Amino acid sequence: MVNPGYKHFKGEDWVDPTPPPSDLPHVEEVGATGAPLKSASFVIGSMCKEYNEDFMLCKDEDRNPQHCLREGRKVTRCAIDVLEKIQANCRDEFRAHWQCLDDKNQMFGRCRVPEKTYNECLFKSLGWKKDIPFAPTNKPQIHERTPLA
Amino acid sequence: MPVPFESFIPFGIMSAMFVVTGVGINFAQTRRNEGKKPRYSMDDWDRKMMTRDKQLTGTPRGQNDAPVAPPEFKINSSWKVYRSLRNGVL
Repeated sequence: MVNPGYKHFKGEDWVDPTPPPSDLPHVEEVGATGAPLKSASFVIGSMCKEYNEDFMLCKDEDRNPQHCLREGRKVTRCAIDVLEKIQANCRDEFRAHWQCLDDKNQMFGRCRVPEKTYNECLFKSLGWKKDIPFAPTNKPQIHERTPLA
Repeated sequence: MPVPFESFIPFGIMSAMFVVTGVGINFAQTRRNEGKKPRYSMDDWDRKMMTRDKQLTGTPRGQNDAPVAPPEFKINSSWKVYRSLRNGVL
């Protein structure tokens, strides 16, 4: 992989001069870029709620990076797990939705049609429903309004 | 009374200028953004997310939906460091 701006110096040749200590457990990083992450954001938020809240509360205690390494690893692993499940079950609808988002300045309100098929696929195969936290309960949520808004 | 066709010539020239400007701007922006429309109303979150995307895929507008990042992603982040009088001379 070529690091941008360093075409003459391939990514494989970069060496970390200060690697993290070897007694820390190894964790993979989330590989999704902005649009797929935004597409899966509500699902990650509802599935990984406890881990995310744990991490935020831990950071609230102490901003030192070393303090919250374990909670951070759990957050990363949960997000990777959610993305893997989506890829295994609903890959085409997911791809259609995030490609639409990428085209439309990453605004949810302009991509309701692919989102509908995506949400239906998620519900049918995994039982996950997109739910906007703290939305008013006396009216349908904005992505479920008819006509599509 | 016949139509004054000579007066349409400057109108045609002006319309052609608008068309050329529009096509030129569209072409330049599309080429700058790898065939996609440009992003607008970006806040700090979007800017930082785009730096992360560039780190993951190598190009500013590249997208990738792999769950796990390539192993180089852990070590290929880079920041430019400048001397600045505001922060004290390095």
